[in-house]
Amino acid sequence: MDYSLLLEPAILSEVLVLGLERGAMYALMASGLSLIFGIMGVKNFSHGELFMLGGYVMFYVTMVLDLPWPIGVAAAALVLLVVGMLIERTLIETLRRRAGRDWQLDAFVLTIGMLVIMQNLALIFFGTERRGVSDLIEGTFVLGPLLVSYERLMIVGVAAAAGLALWAFIRFTSLGKAIRAASQDPHAAQTLGIDIQRIYTVSFGIGAALAGLAGGLLISIYPAHPTVGFQPVIKSIACVILGGLGYVPGAIIAAMLLGIIEAYATFFMSGGWQNVMTPALVVLILIFRPSGLFSSSKVDRA
Amino acid sequence: MTTDTSVNRETKAIAGFLRSTPARVIKVAVLLAILLFVPPLIDNPYVTRIFISAMMLGVMAAIYDLMIGYAGLVNFGYAGFIAVGAYTSALGEFHYGISPWLGLFFGGVLSAFLGFLLGVITLRLRGLYVALMTFFVGEAIRFSISNTPEFTRGMLGLSVAPFPDVFGIDFGRSNLYAYYYLLLVLTAVIMGFMWWLVKSRYGLAFEALREDQLATQSLGLNTTKYKLYNFTIASFLAGVMGAFYAHYLGILSPSPEEFGVYRTVEILSITYIGGRGTLWGSLFSGFLLIGFQEYFRGIGPWRLVIFGALLVFVMLFARRGLAGLKKYLW
Repeated sequence: MDYSLLLEPAILSEVLVLGLERGAMYALMASGLSLIFGIMGVKNFSHGELFMLGGYVMFYVTMVLDLPWPIGVAAAALVLLVVGMLIERTLIETLRRRAGRDWQLDAFVLTIGMLVIMQNLALIFFGTERRGVSDLIEGTFVLGPLLVSYERLMIVGVAAAAGLALWAFIRFTSLGKAIRAASQDPHAAQTLGIDIQRIYTVSFGIGAALAGLAGGLLISIYPAHPTVGFQPVIKSIACVILGGLGYVPGAIIAAMLLGIIEAYATFFMSGGWQNVMTPALVVLILIFRPSGLFSSSKVDRA
Repeated sequence: MTTDTSVNRETKAIAGFLRSTPARVIKVAVLLAILLFVPPLIDNPYVTRIFISAMMLGVMAAIYDLMIGYAGLVNFGYAGFIAVGAYTSALGEFHYGISPWLGLFFGGVLSAFLGFLLGVITLRLRGLYVALMTFFVGEAIRFSISNTPEFTRGMLGLSVAPFPDVFGIDFGRSNLYAYYYLLLVLTAVIMGFMWWLVKSRYGLAFEALREDQLATQSLGLNTTKYKLYNFTIASFLAGVMGAFYAHYLGILSPSPEEFGVYRTVEILSITYIGGRGTLWGSLFSGFLLIGFQEYFRGIGPWRLVIFGALLVFVMLFARRGLAGLKKYLW
């Protein structure tokens, strides 16, 4: 390793842009995961498969139907919104009614079953072939010593817009207010006449839509194939823990940080040790600060 | 009317007989006889190998059940513990010439040590944290193995020596029956030990803390201590099974299918489909699911779709798993 590269501003900023892009993907995935976790207490292990579905929707809309990419990205988000709401209404609601007190842990196992099903159905219907879209937008622009492709910029931009939209939805709409109430105290919210079932369905749908959006948006980097969701889901679970379980802004900050750290680690560390770094980081956080880096709330130690 | 009642009486009589002690003795004898004699009678290496995989995964699932079904602990990095046992024994033989027979024990000890450490750190926390923590520890173990190829040969694959001959029994790889009967003995010892454990006062404590942790605490039981016992013992047994796995299979590599999430999911599914909190259910479900997977090899990924659908079905509608069928058959 040539450490003099560390002093090279062009390379450092190049890696920073790579990190921001990676962070944007983690943020989209992690904010959905964290939203679902914060409101339902369910860790959705099939989140990566929702990402995968988003990729396939994007591929079919842009490559097969030959429509422009913004429609593809929107379609990916919309289809996954519906899929997510359907999953919640049929599977998770049934489980919640039947499993009783410890349903969240069982729901986690349920999502594992969903992962196995979705991954193998994708293998059956789409095959192992990687279905990608080479360039959504062509061209790069020069900023001093820095070369940035428009596509990278678009990915970070759309992710930021989605984050803002999510924030505005939760902050300003009445449904958003109900969601916040339900995440703070589900029982109290219910006594005040909030339909918890509806909140769960909507939240799961939004979480799935964010995963679908990520899958569609990143198709040029992560071409859709049956196991594409594996890395994103592990990394986004890590972000959710680092940011504090169920604390969406924390997850987003953690995602950007992790993206940037990983980009530098991949560039400057030898071998595959950056793969150990993320789990090690998470384990350390779980040991010393189980409530996450940015959350002030205390962990429920039952 | 009369025919109805007589039919009714007859079915009742049959059901009564099926549950009587002599019938149960016969059923146990038949099952044992199948396990003991079917592989040598069929005398087909392929069938023997399926019996070995089914029993191996069945026992691993039963150990998993000791954690999830008796203490409510989800170890989502379970395959990592099996990897620790497997690699300890394999590397001990490879680098230091330690006999694999001792490796069975050392593999268990190292895995138990890891389980103990992890238990001390996480078991104070809520169930989901245990799952998350073990998951990331399992991943860290797997990546550490693949990142040290000069010691573990990483993804290149480590070839593992077979068990050395003992008591004049040939443990060469071609002698599958030696491995099959060794596994049968291991299974009997491990299942017998766990059966004794869950019937002992420890078992009662495990079940109490699974049912209601707060109430158990208020009765003066140290729940963390009992969870730690459970987790450490289960990790030990998983390590032993890992060591057997290594010397039986002959080659190890830290792929996700072998020692990662996919293996954990496979074992977890066997446990849940077999029925939590029964131990024996996992063993039956191991045979059923592995047999099913082999039988339906031709339909490719569809068998995994069915596998996943079974898990979902069990979670939603048949929450006691295969063990729920016990009342009709036992």
